[in-house]
Amino acid sequence: MSTITTDASRDCRNVGCPMNMVYTKVELAKLSPGQVLEVILDDGPPINNVPKSVVLEGHAILEKSRCDDGTWRILIRCGKK
Amino acid sequence: MVKKMIDFTEEQLERYSRHILLADVGVEGQIRLSSARVLIIGAGGLGAPVALYLAAAGVGTIGIVDNDIVEVSNLQRQVCHFHNNIGKAKVESAREKMKAINPDITVIPLEKYLVADNIREIIRDYDFVVEGSDNFPTKFLVNDACVMESIPFSIGGILRFDGQAMTIVPGESACYRCAFRNPPPPDAVPSCSEAGVLGAIAGMLGTIQAAETLKFITGAGSLLTDTLLSFDAKNMDFHKVRLQRQDDCAICGKEPSIRTLVDYEQTTCGI
Amino acid sequence: MHITVNGENKEFDTSSLPITTLLEVAKVESPDMVSVQVNGKVIDRTLYADTLLRDNDEVDFLYFMGGGA
Ligand SMILES: [Zn+2]
Repeated sequence: MSTITTDASRDCRNVGCPMNMVYTKVELAKLSPGQVLEVILDDGPPINNVPKSVVLEGHAILEKSRCDDGTWRILIRCGKK
Repeated sequence: MVKKMIDFTEEQLERYSRHILLADVGVEGQIRLSSARVLIIGAGGLGAPVALYLAAAGVGTIGIVDNDIVEVSNLQRQVCHFHNNIGKAKVESAREKMKAINPDITVIPLEKYLVADNIREIIRDYDFVVEGSDNFPTKFLVNDACVMESIPFSIGGILRFDGQAMTIVPGESACYRCAFRNPPPPDAVPSCSEAGVLGAIAGMLGTIQAAETLKFITGAGSLLTDTLLSFDAKNMDFHKVRLQRQDDCAICGKEPSIRTLVDYEQTTCGI
Repeated sequence: MHITVNGENKEFDTSSLPITTLLEVAKVESPDMVSVQVNGKVIDRTLYADTLLRDNDEVDFLYFMGGGA
């Protein structure tokens, strides 16, 4: 586990594409640049797609780690507004 | 901002997901759409697709002006009116479909003619106007009133296989009069027998106007300002002409000669 | 002389021609239903006969379309 403190979190387990990205964007819209959002994503298309889309929109992926149940935890630093 | 965002229900997040996913719209753009007020002038060939798409897009308040009732000859292109609406007021028929697509929005049906005496007061309540009338007197009246009230608008026209549109931000970009100056002489306007229109042309142009409206509200992309977009659907040729504000424009020029609105003589057969 | 009309190049064996002549040559059926822009300036319809086009002018025909219903 990282030592980065998170400002918000969204559990997107069992949420398919693209609604997982919609929820991620909703959470990011509430944050200020520099704040950190934790998102839990399913394996497969979600972990392949969401981080890429997040980067394309100007945010940064700080961390990507596999959880014990096979899902993924990513930490996103909110970028430009 | 954050407070309003939380107002989106789970269903609304799903409904607007394809907007929210767009980098140029996003959550903020959808909030802007939800609080926007748009007036559609004409519930006909152009107004019908505009009404349906703006309702679907979640534009919070949509006014729609038209004084006609639905006739069978409308149904070839005015896609918001159905066969069982014949005889009903067009604005009522349009409102029903808009609310059926999206119950979240507010529709204000205005069953009346727009004239010099009422137009300024009506448009003043809106952030953006979509002109989709079927005649030059109304097009020029809407142009002049929107310039006077500084309300941005999209203006469109269709004929046979052709369509044209421009977006006007008063004070910044060329207006309809900058391009066309005055209505054409009434005897030059195509007679009814010359003036058919392919049904889908109304949809092509109406959706261009709807897209301009959504772009204006969300700030996405660049508008058809200082530009006349025309297409000829027979060959699917699209063409843009660059326009500029004319110093001697009668309404937005340096010394406007139009100070008060007047109604031009009506010559139309409803295309 | 050489002018462009709606972006297309046209050549003429003359050093100037009035807008009315260009409208005829271009087979514009109803000149009253066209607004003519020359080098960015929209010409008053009453001046078409008196406005002479010169070499390298850029002309745009803007067609009136009044339909919408
Ligand atoms: Zn003007």
